[in-house]
Amino acid sequence: MKPHSSLTKGLKVGLLAILCAGAAQAEAIKPKDVDPALAELGKRLFYDARLSGDTSLACASCHQPDKAFTDGLALSEAYSGVSHFRNTPTLANVGKRAAWNHDGRLGTNLNDVTREMITETYLMNMDMRLMQERLKQDPVYVEMFRAAGLGEPSNGGARKAIAAFQDTIVSRNAPIDTGDLTAAALRGQALFNGKAGCVSCHSGDRYTDDKVHNTGVQDNPEIWADPERHIAFVTYAKFMGVENYMNLRQDLGAFVRDHSYTSRRTFLTPSLRELTHTAPYMHNGTLATLEEVVDFYNAGGGADTLKDQRIRPLDLNDSEKSDLVEFLKSLSGDSFDTDAYVWRKDDYDYTLIENWRETAN
Amino acid sequence: MLMKSTVSVVALLASLAGPAMAENLRPDALAPLDPPPAPADNPTTAAKVALGAKLFFDPKVSGNNGMPCSACHLPEAGWAIQDPISFGYPGTTHWRNSQTIVNSAYYGKLFWAGASKSLEGQARSAARGAVAGNGEDDLMEARLAFVPEYRKAFREIFGDEYPLIRNAYRAMAAFQRTLVQTDTPFDNYMRGDDDALSEQQKRGLEVFAGKGNCITCHNGPLLSDEAYYNIGVPPSPIWEEDPLAQITFRFELYAKGSTEEMYRHTKDDPGLYFRTKQKADKGKFRTPSLRYTKYTYPFMHNGTIETLADVVEFYDRGGDTNEFAANKSKLIQPLGLTSGEKEDLVAFLESLSGPEILMEEPDIPEIAPLPVAQQ
Repeated sequence: MKPHSSLTKGLKVGLLAILCAGAAQAEAIKPKDVDPALAELGKRLFYDARLSGDTSLACASCHQPDKAFTDGLALSEAYSGVSHFRNTPTLANVGKRAAWNHDGRLGTNLNDVTREMITETYLMNMDMRLMQERLKQDPVYVEMFRAAGLGEPSNGGARKAIAAFQDTIVSRNAPIDTGDLTAAALRGQALFNGKAGCVSCHSGDRYTDDKVHNTGVQDNPEIWADPERHIAFVTYAKFMGVENYMNLRQDLGAFVRDHSYTSRRTFLTPSLRELTHTAPYMHNGTLATLEEVVDFYNAGGGADTLKDQRIRPLDLNDSEKSDLVEFLKSLSGDSFDTDAYVWRKDDYDYTLIENWRETAN
Repeated sequence: MLMKSTVSVVALLASLAGPAMAENLRPDALAPLDPPPAPADNPTTAAKVALGAKLFFDPKVSGNNGMPCSACHLPEAGWAIQDPISFGYPGTTHWRNSQTIVNSAYYGKLFWAGASKSLEGQARSAARGAVAGNGEDDLMEARLAFVPEYRKAFREIFGDEYPLIRNAYRAMAAFQRTLVQTDTPFDNYMRGDDDALSEQQKRGLEVFAGKGNCITCHNGPLLSDEAYYNIGVPPSPIWEEDPLAQITFRFELYAKGSTEEMYRHTKDDPGLYFRTKQKADKGKFRTPSLRYTKYTYPFMHNGTIETLADVVEFYDRGGDTNEFAANKSKLIQPLGLTSGEKEDLVAFLESLSGPEILMEEPDIPEIAPLPVAQQ
């Protein structure tokens, strides 16, 4: 133990820690008030591959309930013929976010996020006018839209319902919420709020400040080695108006929002909720385990000239690192792989409208 | 039967000329087909055609990397699809008959209702439509940039730093302008070879220009006046049989622009209406060329008529009817053809097709990691 070596660097974060560190038990996340019929409709839509252009992908293809709505991959899959250049983020507590996507380029609401995911050419590549007519061909939807007060199936109603379903995806019964922390986790919590300084960004009930930071996470070379990923990246960078996008070989993160130099390679602080279900970590999945994440920060993050000043070597010893990991694990709660979050029925069929000529479209 | 005053002068004169045999009739309204024009902003070159041929068969020019132009325009199926309704993008069906690429070079407007003004524009629309290629320009353009062979070809042909998708459409159009047939028996006959048509085909030509009145709309070297008519083709039965077709039908009404009333109650393809938004244009489609029809069955915009003989029967009975009957052309009247005349007419129509145009599918180049450009 070298208690003095980290004393000065611990001072700044220590101030924050005093402000933020309270009792071992955190405030559990409050679910939003959601219309059950609307959310139920959204749940069925979430698992329906007919929401993608070639009917190959549902929202749930990448956002899988048994992995807290991630996919277990470093870099996500994507639409037929391309692959993604980022890690699938969890949807746990997604309705509480202030901005979406790792770069935060969507900053309005879940309805817009849903539309973007469904229509984006390298994601679900869906013409929503066609999607609407698909939904109208399924009597289950006709009834569910009506029950949800949305009238006939429409793409606007579908987005509203999917957003409502996502609002129901709220963490439950994590040890941090029930107060059921082990001794190691309690020691880790003190480090989290103190010496390790994690809390300066991972704050609040979701353990994120909803801001972007550069922590020096290293590039994932797979993006440039795999042309299907690189193609998706080029499509994205071009659309976001990034200069010289054909020769760009780095993910500039939130730079795409304001195109300012200091925003380069900044990414939204991810929530630490449900971490045990959401490996691998970071926006590009380059860290496989929580141990690796702690090692990363203990080493002062990665090399980057624009790295956040607060990211410095932490000088944690092995048992402190282990305690910190224990605490991080205590932020994960019940699995979402339950009937409340999963549409179990394989009932995605179209029905022929028999009296076609007499039925209004 | 009584000739209507609306019948063209040519047809009238032809019919008055009587059934004199072996006169080697060469109606002024018809002509052999010359090589196709190319637009001044997209001259045809051998290199461009070779590139266009690859792109025509390349699934990269689609949303899912799986639907090249050739998916619905198969060389061995008349450069079309020999089903009533064209394939759609995966998860969908189309809603109209796939038209042949052969001789598409000559049309002033493309698609059944003339929605595109050029082959270049048609390529783009087909690559992007939700029930066709469902591609998005940015992504398709990115895919092309990852093909070393394409980077080289687009640089040499168009001067592109990286392939531009609009130049892909230009190359495809240039390739399609080579898929023409100008030496059918009919062409040879019209150029003076009296023996190019059989006696039966010559009799069929007389019916075509006279009693059958076909020539009123099917004229010029293309045997199309490129105008739009409602001839009373009935709606496709697919809309009463296939849920996917019902989906696409409503999607087309919605996407192409309809009033609420029209969206709710239309049960047939409004055709030209989508371009003009005039009620009088509902159910109208462009007169198709009759060339290459030996290979492009079934016929009509929705493929509801199976053979050329059936087409002749259709016109002989004065067409059928559809939802937009008020717009049915007055030119379409019962013809009173004898069975011999019908056979002659079909024989003549067959003279409008030469040998089948086939080609070996080119090797499709693959994507590879993209090197950083030398600065």
